[in-house]
Amino acid sequence: MQQFFDATLSGITNGVVFAAFALCLVLIFRATRIINFGQGAQAMVTTYLALKLIQNDVPYALAFVAALAAGFLLGAFVERVIVRPVETGPEINAVIVTLGIFIALVALAAIIFGNDLAAFPAAFSLAGLEVGGSTIALRPNDLFTIGAVLVAMAVLLGLFRFTSLGLRMRASAFNQEVAKLLGVKVGQMLTLGWALAGLFGSLAGLLIAAGTPIFPSYMDAVVIFAFVAAVLGGLDSFLGAVVGGLVLGLTSAYVSSYVGSELVTLAALAILMVVLLLKPGGLFSSSVARRV
Amino acid sequence: MSVAMNKGASDTRTPSAAPAPASGGRLRSTGLKHLLLMLAAFFGLVLLLLAVDEFRATQLASLAYYIPAVAGLTVLTGINGQVSLGHGALMAVGAYTTGVLLIRQPDLPYLLIVAIAIIVTALVGALVGVAAARLHGPYLAGATLALAVGLPGLAITFEDLLGGEPGLRIPSPTVPPWVQDLYGNITGDRLTPRVYLAYLGGALALTTLFILSNLVRSRYGRMWRAVRDDEVAAELAGIDLGRARVLAFVVSAACAGLAGALLAVVSRIAAPTGFTVVLSLSLLVAIVIGGLGSLVGAIIGSAMLVYLAPFSIARGRDLGLSDVEAANLAPLIYGVVLIVVMLVAPRGLVGTARFAFLARRAGRQGAGART
Amino acid sequence: MLEVKDLVTAYGPVLALDGVSLSATAGRVTAVLGANGAGKTTLLRTISGLVRPKAGTVMLNGEDVTRSQVETMVHKGMAHVPEGRGLIAELTVEENLRLGGLFRRAKDGDSELARIYDLFPPLKERATRSAHTLSGGERQMLVVGRALLAHPKLLLLDEPSLGLAPRVVSQIFSLVRDLVDSTGLAVLLVEQNAKSALSIADTGVVLNLGRVVATDDAATLAADEGLRHAYLGF
Repeated sequence: MQQFFDATLSGITNGVVFAAFALCLVLIFRATRIINFGQGAQAMVTTYLALKLIQNDVPYALAFVAALAAGFLLGAFVERVIVRPVETGPEINAVIVTLGIFIALVALAAIIFGNDLAAFPAAFSLAGLEVGGSTIALRPNDLFTIGAVLVAMAVLLGLFRFTSLGLRMRASAFNQEVAKLLGVKVGQMLTLGWALAGLFGSLAGLLIAAGTPIFPSYMDAVVIFAFVAAVLGGLDSFLGAVVGGLVLGLTSAYVSSYVGSELVTLAALAILMVVLLLKPGGLFSSSVARRV
Repeated sequence: MSVAMNKGASDTRTPSAAPAPASGGRLRSTGLKHLLLMLAAFFGLVLLLLAVDEFRATQLASLAYYIPAVAGLTVLTGINGQVSLGHGALMAVGAYTTGVLLIRQPDLPYLLIVAIAIIVTALVGALVGVAAARLHGPYLAGATLALAVGLPGLAITFEDLLGGEPGLRIPSPTVPPWVQDLYGNITGDRLTPRVYLAYLGGALALTTLFILSNLVRSRYGRMWRAVRDDEVAAELAGIDLGRARVLAFVVSAACAGLAGALLAVVSRIAAPTGFTVVLSLSLLVAIVIGGLGSLVGAIIGSAMLVYLAPFSIARGRDLGLSDVEAANLAPLIYGVVLIVVMLVAPRGLVGTARFAFLARRAGRQGAGART
Repeated sequence: MLEVKDLVTAYGPVLALDGVSLSATAGRVTAVLGANGAGKTTLLRTISGLVRPKAGTVMLNGEDVTRSQVETMVHKGMAHVPEGRGLIAELTVEENLRLGGLFRRAKDGDSELARIYDLFPPLKERATRSAHTLSGGERQMLVVGRALLAHPKLLLLDEPSLGLAPRVVSQIFSLVRDLVDSTGLAVLLVEQNAKSALSIADTGVVLNLGRVVATDDAATLAADEGLRHAYLGF
């Protein structure tokens, strides 16, 4: 019973981070109909940046914020410079470009930062909380993780629902041509979408790294999990990404705990196949026709 | 993956030979041309191997295993339009099958083991293909990526059979006595296993290319292209989309299985670290550079994979990088190349050259070249 | 206000517009007529910037806007209601409307919205509903209302009558005419329903296969039986 309880708690913590990363994939997909396979590598680079700052005596909070800002700028740069030319062509071209970003960034990180494991500090304590006399698998840092993601999601939701900037971004995502005819600077909105996604990705990367060793490929599995989570939720749905993230988090925790941690990715693949074969639109697919 | 490839990354047409009276006739004459080409290439390979040292021979053996893998993938992705990021995992299947058999059944002839590895991988490919047949675009890419990241984990789960993290040490196959005698009679030298593998690998690679080039020109190739270019039209023409896609997957998986079987004995080890995502993505780079759907391009791409890495490591050392750092120069170049090629020349090297050739020819014929 | 000269637009090797010239003036409705495939929609899409022309010029108030971005055209006072109406289905009615006026960056969003609701009461009832739940006539009201929120000087309307009941069509058309008369709006009206269009238009331009075959007062065109039978279907 204890094992189940512990696995559930760590599943929720991980799930929340997967949800954040899935959100950034959905953000990009809604705006430009592209899956950015390089997103994990982008997040990894900004996490290394934070690490370097921390190792140079910059306070954790400042390094954290710097990494988020770097993620924002990197996302904007990638969209504007690298992805923009292939946004309108055949799908396969965009897939290949994002894979190129993936490979290049991981290799670059290995060259600059080395392939060895590097310890990344956590913001808060990593000792399990005491509840009713026993230690549970929930740590103060996990509470920070969950809180940070919830705050970020709330900000994103507020931005989209209640601001005119959010309205313009949604319009650009749903119907580029009509948005242009309404005077929306669609190009800028797309770049902003990728920038926000970059920020979310960096957030996820930093939170995952807390207290664990990082290395250039450490985000690979996260990309897979987040991708499956996003597909599970329906690539168009923010709520779906959150639910999907939690499902993936819990699944990976249970598989890791009861079967073996090396099979977690295959478990995610199994979920992906089930979803795609049974309900390809995902759990929360919107049935609204996209063109009127 | 159903994609409109009109402007994009694939090469649909090869320069047409002089019109033949019937397609069968043309096929036979081109087939004959290819057969002669393959035999000439093998002859050239023999000469080359006699001239070079063992290190170069090993490199040629590596080229020999990359070629079927890349060629198979270019058929799947370039001709049939399905993006697979998991062919590294399929190569792993072939390599591990070969390794396990060589260790546990050392009396079986190596070629039989290769055949078994091909069949096993083809079966796995069929399984993946059935699932993949209904997936398009990023979904297919993501699913195969998950396969690439996740499959090596099985080696750890089944540690006893598959060797876990450190992997399987694979014994080198012995040179068959008749080959040794033949070699000794012609050259007066002893044939080492490494050089033998280069000959064997070269022969198998050329055979694969021959088979694939015929398939690509046959009605299967036309069927695959039709499914890639316009699903609805293909279905209306009576093509079973699922069957066509699965077949393409099986063919490319068989090629990957062969590649894995050769890889296993050339590198003498099968371990999870040898089949990372980078391998799958390198295959993708190779087909993109050559030009999706071009078998000639597959050869060029494979050559890049084999020769760029040591080249870049040497350059890296000159620049003062450590070995580990220099080893990452090659993937860095791959990534940059992927991006640049897609932005600048989406048809790849061979595709762009071919396109320019065709356009100039059309211009000369006064038809007015059209983009 | 709008001067189009010798406009040539091609889709690949196909010439959709083959040297089209026309003009639109403030306070007047210019109807662009012709059969399917005549190039009418392409003409509007080229003027608004969705499509780049191969040759020719588009001048807006004396300024060359041939290669301007769509967003820039909107800032300069052009509103284009595309074929098929161009709603954003996933947004609510009110969100669609608000979008129309956003680029103006004025603080009068709420009062402007109220003005449109007065003009089109059914929209007010459905303000928080998703746009895709609207009927054909309501959708047309939505996009015209949305266009008006942009305070345009030039309005490009592409087949507003498509799929609408005749009664609704005449409502929309008389609304357009009233606006033109009262505010000095210039309207370029593309229509297959030539009869209705000519009834509210000042000038008519007839296109056929990408070329202008007739430009004249609306009344004269309506009276020209030969022309009507050949190109306008009545």
